[in-house]
Amino acid sequence: MSVRTGSFSRLHLLLIGSASLFLCFFSLVLLADPTFAAPRPDALKIGVLAPLSGPYAAGGTSFVQAATLAVEQANAEGGVSGRLVTIVVGDTQGRVDVAKAEALRLVSREKVSALVGAYLSEETVGVMEVAAAHRTVLLVPVAATAEITDLVRREYARYRYVFRVGYSLPQWAEMISAFLSDRKVRRYAFVGAGIRWNRELGETLERIAAPRGITPAYTAFYSAGNPAFDTVAVAAAAAAPDIVILADPGRNSVSFLKRLREAAPALPALSIGGALGDTRLAASVPLSGPVYVQAAAWRGVSPAATAYVERYEHRYGAPPVGYSDTLPYDAVTVLVAAWRKAGNAATEAVVGVLERGTFAGVAGMYRFDAAHQAQWGTGPGALRGTFVRWEHGGARIVFPPR
Amino acid sequence: MASPLLQVLLDGLFAGGTYALMAAGMALILGVVKVINLSHGAFFTLGAYVAYALAERGVESPLAAAPLAAVIAFAFGVFLGKSFVNPARAHPFALPVGTLACALLFEQAAQMVWGPHPLSIEAGAPWIGPGGIVIRRWGVIAFLSSAALLGGLQWVLSARPGLPLRLIAEDEEIAGSLGMDVEAIRYLTFGGACAMAAAAGALLSPSGAVTPTMGRAPLLLSLVVVIVAGMDSVGAIFLLSIALGIFGSACAWFLSPQWSYVALLAAVCLLLSARPAGIVVTAGRLD
Repeated sequence: MSVRTGSFSRLHLLLIGSASLFLCFFSLVLLADPTFAAPRPDALKIGVLAPLSGPYAAGGTSFVQAATLAVEQANAEGGVSGRLVTIVVGDTQGRVDVAKAEALRLVSREKVSALVGAYLSEETVGVMEVAAAHRTVLLVPVAATAEITDLVRREYARYRYVFRVGYSLPQWAEMISAFLSDRKVRRYAFVGAGIRWNRELGETLERIAAPRGITPAYTAFYSAGNPAFDTVAVAAAAAAPDIVILADPGRNSVSFLKRLREAAPALPALSIGGALGDTRLAASVPLSGPVYVQAAAWRGVSPAATAYVERYEHRYGAPPVGYSDTLPYDAVTVLVAAWRKAGNAATEAVVGVLERGTFAGVAGMYRFDAAHQAQWGTGPGALRGTFVRWEHGGARIVFPPR
Repeated sequence: MASPLLQVLLDGLFAGGTYALMAAGMALILGVVKVINLSHGAFFTLGAYVAYALAERGVESPLAAAPLAAVIAFAFGVFLGKSFVNPARAHPFALPVGTLACALLFEQAAQMVWGPHPLSIEAGAPWIGPGGIVIRRWGVIAFLSSAALLGGLQWVLSARPGLPLRLIAEDEEIAGSLGMDVEAIRYLTFGGACAMAAAAGALLSPSGAVTPTMGRAPLLLSLVVVIVAGMDSVGAIFLLSIALGIFGSACAWFLSPQWSYVALLAAVCLLLSARPAGIVVTAGRLD
């Protein structure tokens, strides 16, 4: 038997080289990731569920970054009764089965004291079951489906651990409807990704905006496989709406807006769901027509919001988008405040505090109703949200009037 | 604005051009190297990131980015072809899994380098044609580039310089016995196809958002086009791409955008059930 030494050693070199590169690469990744920091045995753990891979990875990453920032802020203020707070992250990948499995891992293996997440409505409804079964507090920052708080209302004993910090679909529709009314909009086009919250938001907005005389001129949801942006943009423009509402938390919002600008350069567009709140993207978006973004809070709305934006920008090099980061930040802040008020992280005590208390966040003062829904909307004392308009050189707050 | 239906059909033509642009490289790999390369979309993404990196440094023309992207992707492709594809060709299941792993690794690396957030390059204003019809710049680029690439490929395969490729595609043993370096031709072809994917990514980068996973959808559609058209006719690949682009747009217009993908795949299934070996196959392969 002969051994071809040349090719043998080359293969070995290739394998050793590749393995070394892998080791270096992933060592750097692990060292850079705050979730892999050495755990403190007495630290209070928050399980954070967000998609860090897949089509919603951008929003999920902002989610985790904001949660990390909130924990750092909490620890800088002394933690909870002298105990530090840490986060343990579960990557949901934007899938219900993975979200449930990760929630189960965080609760049963990582022994987290509470959960914050998930991202999509479908995922969050799945995670609610895990939280209910393990009697673990779950704070929901961004998932908006009505089912979440409906379940709390209908089966309080089972789901009383679940609190939604972000806006529900009716609240969201109310805020959008007020903005449309302020802009004198009568007909709108509603376009977005074909995912659950979009469809439900489209229906809810139609119902809530109707009494103001605002009606949909065109509605379409595209599929991820073949979004047919060109066709949707042409159809939306042909319907001659006063504004196009673009409901998409992912990258497709940019692609669609570019097509829309080609089809109808001056048609106003309103982005909801966070993606176009990114300054880096806004710089390349054509501003031949108004581009509005709806956010939970924005720099300049309040001193707390401005301080948060500056901290975020300093930490991560770019300002937050105002939705998929701001709401998770507030969710962690509210949770830590509840732990402090309760004096511990015991579930029943924390649930009682969350039900009765008022909590300061970046977007304003949070209080929960009987269905454990934070009070957003246009009523007195409600969290109002913010609408900004991108202009050359930055964003300007246009609604609510200040 | 011009007649919306006319606009939709024109946009469908351009969408078909983007499918053809990706399918050109895929056809080369499937035809000559005879592997399903699931990392093809990753090279498309690489091209888009090269265009973005250049745009950040003031070079905003995708036409300028395409050659650089092609050179980088060619180097990566040759490395991948030589170190993994050629040795693993004997194991048919290893290649799709291995190339998929490479694609996922690239996506993770891109996420580490550029972040998961969508990035964007200015697309520039479209041209306005007769009757107010909107002619999208990137659409024209995709259509013309795919026609040029596939036309060039057709010429190479039918002329003398393409003889080794044709021979290897037909019978590798005969090619080897004639003194051709089959292994080298295979990995160079693989590299060339990767370069074509990267050039496509660079050219189309202003049309949408640049993200680590942006290559997945074009990968699937181009694979579908090549398999349905068959590898025997480059012209069929181009025409089928255009037909599918127009069909997808028409479905989105007449049915609903969310049904266009389903309708597209259903049409593909029907075509494959009628002609399993592809629409255009030489007589010898129809058995």
